[in-house]
Amino acid sequence: MLKRLSIFLALTGILAVTLLVFRLKKAPPTPIPLVEPSRAPYTDSIGARGIVEAVNENVIVAPILPGMITDIYVNVGDLVKKGAPLFRQDTRDAGAKVSAQQAQVVLLEARVKESEVKVADKQDDLVRADRLLSQRVISDDVQRRKYFELKSAESALDSARAELLLARAQLTQAEVTLDLLTVRAPRDGEILRQNMHEGEYAGVASSDPNAPSLLLGETTHLQLRADVDEDSASRVQTGAVAVAYIKGMHSDPIPLRFVRIEPYITVKKSLTGDSSERVDTRVLQVIYQFDKTKVPVYVGQQMDVFIEGKAPRLPQPENDKKILLTPKSP
Amino acid sequence: MLRIALLMLFRDRAKYVMLIVGLTFCSLLMTQQSSVFCGLMLWTSATVRNIGAKVWVFDAKVEQVNEVIPLREIEVTRVRGIPGVEWAVPLYVGIEQARLSDGSFQNVQLVGLDTATFVGRPMQITKGRIEDLRMPDAVIIDQVGVDKFRKKGITIDIGTTFEINDKTARVVALCHANRSFLGQPYIYTTYDRALQFAKPQRKMMSCVLVEPKPGVSSKELAESISAIPGLRAFERDDLFWSTVWWYIKNTGIPISFGTVVLMGVIVGIAIAGQTFYLFILDNLRYLAALKAMGARMPILAAMVFLQSFSVGFVGFGLGVGLTSIFGYKVLKIEQPPFFMPWQVPAFVAVIIILICCFSAAIGLRQIAKLEPAVVFK
Repeated sequence: MLKRLSIFLALTGILAVTLLVFRLKKAPPTPIPLVEPSRAPYTDSIGARGIVEAVNENVIVAPILPGMITDIYVNVGDLVKKGAPLFRQDTRDAGAKVSAQQAQVVLLEARVKESEVKVADKQDDLVRADRLLSQRVISDDVQRRKYFELKSAESALDSARAELLLARAQLTQAEVTLDLLTVRAPRDGEILRQNMHEGEYAGVASSDPNAPSLLLGETTHLQLRADVDEDSASRVQTGAVAVAYIKGMHSDPIPLRFVRIEPYITVKKSLTGDSSERVDTRVLQVIYQFDKTKVPVYVGQQMDVFIEGKAPRLPQPENDKKILLTPKSP
Repeated sequence: MLRIALLMLFRDRAKYVMLIVGLTFCSLLMTQQSSVFCGLMLWTSATVRNIGAKVWVFDAKVEQVNEVIPLREIEVTRVRGIPGVEWAVPLYVGIEQARLSDGSFQNVQLVGLDTATFVGRPMQITKGRIEDLRMPDAVIIDQVGVDKFRKKGITIDIGTTFEINDKTARVVALCHANRSFLGQPYIYTTYDRALQFAKPQRKMMSCVLVEPKPGVSSKELAESISAIPGLRAFERDDLFWSTVWWYIKNTGIPISFGTVVLMGVIVGIAIAGQTFYLFILDNLRYLAALKAMGARMPILAAMVFLQSFSVGFVGFGLGVGLTSIFGYKVLKIEQPPFFMPWQVPAFVAVIIILICCFSAAIGLRQIAKLEPAVVFK
């Protein structure tokens, strides 16, 4: 009994270890068929990173003249019409110049009047001198003197008029300068960003191009700038269908309308803001438009874009064989 | 006569069981420990087996796959210019820290596959598609990672996001990869993205994977690449053995396992030898009787060897059988490491045979000294 059992168990053990050795020698099991993830929109989709823009892009509003901000007329989200004042810079200096110029105009107007009076006086003198000369009361010499006095007064009047004209022009210039200190909307749109405060200095160039002080854009239609990596650029076709997902919301695709492909491949914009991000990859930018969605989408938001592309599918691995994808050698 | 020998053996149940237990324990200890050792050594080369490229090019001073010195990216073009190279692509391998949504950390083995070709991609995708790796922030995580994250209370599925060095990573597929030595989960992504995930260094590329042209042997190509100053190329199997030997030379693992195996041998010799000696001593009367009846020494020797080898066979069988049970159980959960090449049972069989011979020799010494007159005492 013990003999049989022990020998039987020993044989079983040897058999088991033989099987185990053979099993371990065998290659790992072949990959099971790949399951299509439900959210992959196309069989060959090109992945891209997109950034939402207002249609016709956004306008960074900057003043024409540098100066301190005294009044701000708009808030973030305000809809403005073209020409509506946005903010005003310090006008004291420019205002004083206008006042001075106005005074100058008044002064010169008075001077013109004075000269006119002088001309009239001299004219009268000359008329009288003419009469007296014909009666031979005065000499020819005296009459000539009167004539030249009149001419001199007339030139003085012209000069005063010219000065008045100049002063008026200078007044207009001062008024324009004053007007320029009030910055107006260059076109209809919504204020997307308002990062100005009274008392701040507004320069002609924004101190940080990534954080403009005042950003204006048209938000009724939005467009999406999709950055396609240069590796995949050749797979993008004109008019390619695409959908976008708001980051982190993979249930609700937003259908996109093709607008255009930017023909120039640009250096990838540092969207993540990481200074060490590789910038030697270039990207093809494809512009898409979309309508307002159920979920609010904001200008400047990043989206995951999937563009339908045409590309040969990756070869499926054959059973029991390790296949490496081979790049074509030149 | 031989039947009598076996009857003699099986009749003394207590000693038979004792002998078998001793040898079973001895062979169990040896096979199991050797297999775990082999398994552990196999784990060290997990990256080699997961990527599977034929030729690997590293910095000249690299000895094993888990300790790489980064190369300049221009080396790819350099390697491409070597005759006999069909293609060469860059690879990033590095250990990075992943941060989960609840703030806990997990070290991961980040693998950056060539962005255009995915050379070295995981072969067993269990869920999702490899093509989705082209999507933004996409990574593929292996089963070890899924299990590790589950222990931390986070279920990983397609769409799960976590952070690698403060950058978002989104799981697009799950795969099965060979487990690494330190148990860090493999995270596959594209080369470009891996560089974004990894901490910035002056040189980032870990190695170049090379495919030899048809007709060029991997070994020859590796040699010709190694001739270039600053580079060292390994053929896949060479890299595997180089890695394994590195661990054997530089860690205490072989000492620790070797000691246990040696203990198995000592236990086997001590128990089996001693018990067999007592067994012979007990049966000395019968053997003397046989000798008195005219049995010659060779026949007696054959009887003793038969007894010894029978015990050895049963003990070995039970020992390896128990190891197999352990092996089958362990292979299911993939932990602790376990790998049994045919050399392991063969080696143990040789040791058992030696133990049996030793025990039999001790017994035979008694029989040789035996006077047939003992039977009348």
